[in-house]
Amino acid sequence: MAWHKPTSLAQAMQSLRLTSTLTKPSSQASRTTLNTLRTRTYATEAESVPAAAAPEINFGAFSQKPARIIPSSPSYFSGSPRFIDHVLQLEALQAKHASLPTVATSEAPRMAWFKLAQFRDFVGEPVPMKKYKSLVKILQRLNRIQPDMVPVEVRDTLAAFLRPGNPYAVENVPRTVDENGRARGKGKRKESSAVVQLVEGEGEVLVNGKSLVEAFKRVHDRESALWALRCTQRLDKYNAWITVRGGGVTGQAEAITLALGRALLLHEPGLKPILRKAGAITVDARRVERKKPGHVKARKMPTWVKR
Amino acid sequence: MIIRKLCMRQGRQLLALSRRAPVSSRFQSTLPETPVETLQASIRDEISRPENPLLEMVQAQYEASTPAQQEFTSDEPHRSNFKKLGTTVKSSYDPEDVIRNPPKPSQISLEMLLAAGTHLGHSTSRWNPQNSRYIFGIREGVHIISLDVTAAHLRRAAKVVEEVAARGGLILFAGTRKGQKRAVVKAASLAKGYHIFERWIPGSLTNGEQILGHCETKVVNALDEELPNFKADLADRPSLKPDLVVCLNPLENVVLLHECGLNNVPTIGVIDTDADPTRVTYPIPSNDDSLRATCLIAGILGRAGEAGQVRRLKMAQEGRTSYTPITAQELRLDPFTGMAPGGEGQKK
Repeated sequence: MAWHKPTSLAQAMQSLRLTSTLTKPSSQASRTTLNTLRTRTYATEAESVPAAAAPEINFGAFSQKPARIIPSSPSYFSGSPRFIDHVLQLEALQAKHASLPTVATSEAPRMAWFKLAQFRDFVGEPVPMKKYKSLVKILQRLNRIQPDMVPVEVRDTLAAFLRPGNPYAVENVPRTVDENGRARGKGKRKESSAVVQLVEGEGEVLVNGKSLVEAFKRVHDRESALWALRCTQRLDKYNAWITVRGGGVTGQAEAITLALGRALLLHEPGLKPILRKAGAITVDARRVERKKPGHVKARKMPTWVKR
Repeated sequence: MIIRKLCMRQGRQLLALSRRAPVSSRFQSTLPETPVETLQASIRDEISRPENPLLEMVQAQYEASTPAQQEFTSDEPHRSNFKKLGTTVKSSYDPEDVIRNPPKPSQISLEMLLAAGTHLGHSTSRWNPQNSRYIFGIREGVHIISLDVTAAHLRRAAKVVEEVAARGGLILFAGTRKGQKRAVVKAASLAKGYHIFERWIPGSLTNGEQILGHCETKVVNALDEELPNFKADLADRPSLKPDLVVCLNPLENVVLLHECGLNNVPTIGVIDTDADPTRVTYPIPSNDDSLRATCLIAGILGRAGEAGQVRRLKMAQEGRTSYTPITAQELRLDPFTGMAPGGEGQKK
């Protein structure tokens, strides 16, 4: 019985307190309604007589007796019932609306589904990555239904799998030349990283406060540092103020190449094909490979010794 | 890559480059007034993403129905009429039919079983001699299962499922082969049972606390209506065990059948000529490699369970139960010790 519980007991007491008299037989009840009809006024104030409370719960009734303990979901024995129920529901939806026209994936509205960790919190079960991916596939298929034909139930279901907030609302601002006419470009090569401030001018270059000749002793390095300007014949049209850190001389020179190329693109976007072809804005992502345990260097194995 | 000595090395390419010179000369930095139309900017204008898809979706719900939707629905009669044109093919085989509308146990016929291919066993070399009593003969090196035996065992299994359903038992349908998912889910939904169509997690019965402990259960009355008042009593209960397990591929579910044996749970299994019939309580000798055969068997058992559930609910409407219902007192007691919860603490 449930009456031993504090909440239900309190409810029962409440109902006792509210009902001044027990429920009357039906004939009496009908007479009272007639009386109230006759004496009814058209005043707007609330009636003082409170509404009759609901009848008491009959805890001894058959429908209130517990009979069995059963699982909440038909997928109980699978160990992840909520996830499997979601999958089955989505599959049923997909089968139901399979005949609706679809659009290409690129034209479907962009949706931010739950990340795996968020989805695990959502269902409260440790769902593996592979299974979640198969669920997302169904979501994407449902999302491909022609946007003006999507049934309401599909909309509601899909909305339940969206992660909070909208990550696609933030659009990254394209870089431009600032109000003083400076273009800022960053570049990396090997361990070096370079920042270039490029303004229109007469071809003066300062690398870490030094002239180009002081900074780079080799002609090859000087040439590769200013390669972006040289290959576009802009050597005498820009001044560059360069900060470069880390790595060796070659790395620094080629980091400057990339930074300078990117800065030049901000001034003249039309130069992109030329710079691309000349290799001035191509990123060289190669880095020194790490040394591994058991190896002498990154890959070199120790010399084989017979014993 | 940095290209040096361009003229010397790539003279030909350079010539080709200079042919497109008008393009590059437009972008001289000495002419900053000329507006430079970049490709990127134009693309950015074209693709305008909706600001918040979620918000848009919610707004779109309030629109009654779009013109495209109206058009699609108005074309529906035309489309259905068009499909009806031409010859009508009668008595054709629709593979979906056995899943959508499975036959009742009373409709079992040898023709139906033969059509589903339940008689096809395995190659004679792979047989399990314990199945010899179910085998009709050998044809082209393959054992043929006797159809009347299959029908008899299937009827018996259907009866078992129906009686368990009528007594409020939990029936688990397990079919973990690749195409059996829909048939298993359909059978479980018909019989108000439970389904497994992926791997059976070993230990779900023997170590249920760990594996099924977090799965939700509920207390229902005889009419299968949930009683939320008893939710708190369910906290420290052991995980539930099925009262009957129907296994469509016993060869792959050895662990499931072993656990059922340990827990005294009766099992129904589709036994092919290479399977061991003693692993299950109620064998159904049949082909277990044909999806059509297993879907048919699952459907028939699902229908049997449906009949049992109807009977049970009908009895419950009259205020009777064919099983001993759990009482509120039992629910309150600790399921492991049989004592009142917190009783020991009060004594101390």
